[in-house]
Amino acid sequence: MRFTLVKDLRTDVLMRPIIGGLLLFTLLFLIFDVWHTSEKIGMIPTKVATFLYGNEEEFVEPVTQTSLLEIIHMDTFFAMMTLLTLSAVYARLSNSNSRKMVMINLAMISAIIAIISLMSAFLVHHFFLYVWLGCFSIWHVVAFGMGIESLWKLYRL
Amino acid sequence: MKNAYRAAILYFTFFAVMLLVSGTWLFATKIGLSPDAVTLYYLGNEALFQMPKSSEGLLEIVLPHLGGMGLFIMVSAHFMLFAPKNRHQWAKITAIILFTTALLDIFSPYAIINGFAFFNWVKLISFFLLQSLALFLLGLVFLSAFEGVVKH
Repeated sequence: MRFTLVKDLRTDVLMRPIIGGLLLFTLLFLIFDVWHTSEKIGMIPTKVATFLYGNEEEFVEPVTQTSLLEIIHMDTFFAMMTLLTLSAVYARLSNSNSRKMVMINLAMISAIIAIISLMSAFLVHHFFLYVWLGCFSIWHVVAFGMGIESLWKLYRL
Repeated sequence: MKNAYRAAILYFTFFAVMLLVSGTWLFATKIGLSPDAVTLYYLGNEALFQMPKSSEGLLEIVLPHLGGMGLFIMVSAHFMLFAPKNRHQWAKITAIILFTTALLDIFSPYAIINGFAFFNWVKLISFFLLQSLALFLLGLVFLSAFEGVVKH
């Protein structure tokens, strides 16, 4: 959080490339997280349903509660750290107070709901599967937007 | 502190509580919440067709937790820099105990599989102490950030 104390990140010779690198890695993480999730869980309702509940016709076993908890435990950690660092950088670089509050709130709330709804889809009702798909997509898109805007603000002339 | 930072910190505490809940749930499901269940999980039982855990198997759990827990405790505790100074001492003591209990929690399974069966108690106590103190620290962080929002 040292960068929160630097007066102008765009003119700081040390912090500008460091924050630029962090943003690049964050954007890559978001892309690869979507790719990894689409391979492992799925990004279309039928594939997610097969992962969660199995498919007797295709002899696919449902995921175990322990495996799903392990996925959720790791996803929570990575979402927490990614969104915390990204929000701190974005809050420092974005000019519009109202937009930054909307973006940060939207990304954080949708990520929290995504994590809860994946477990709910397994334990409660398949409706939550759609909630998970929607919220997972929203938090990744919004976080990606925050990353791009931060990079733009950091390197624009 | 800007409101955007405060919002990020408040959300961080929600995420952290979810991390603690999923960790406890995972512990209860995978290992069990009694000393006997901990021993059974690590030492296995031939009659129940349960394999004992190997050093290499434990390493796969230890490695990500060493990085993750260290980072988690540091990030949570450092937010107390934004809190009133009278809470710094509490946060310092909590962080030191958290680092110690995290180490005990992470490494006690090695003692169990190497013949020190009583470390099942160490594993259980350190795990619950870790969860409780992490909740306490997050409570302090939440309180400090929330007070800032109210005063702002």
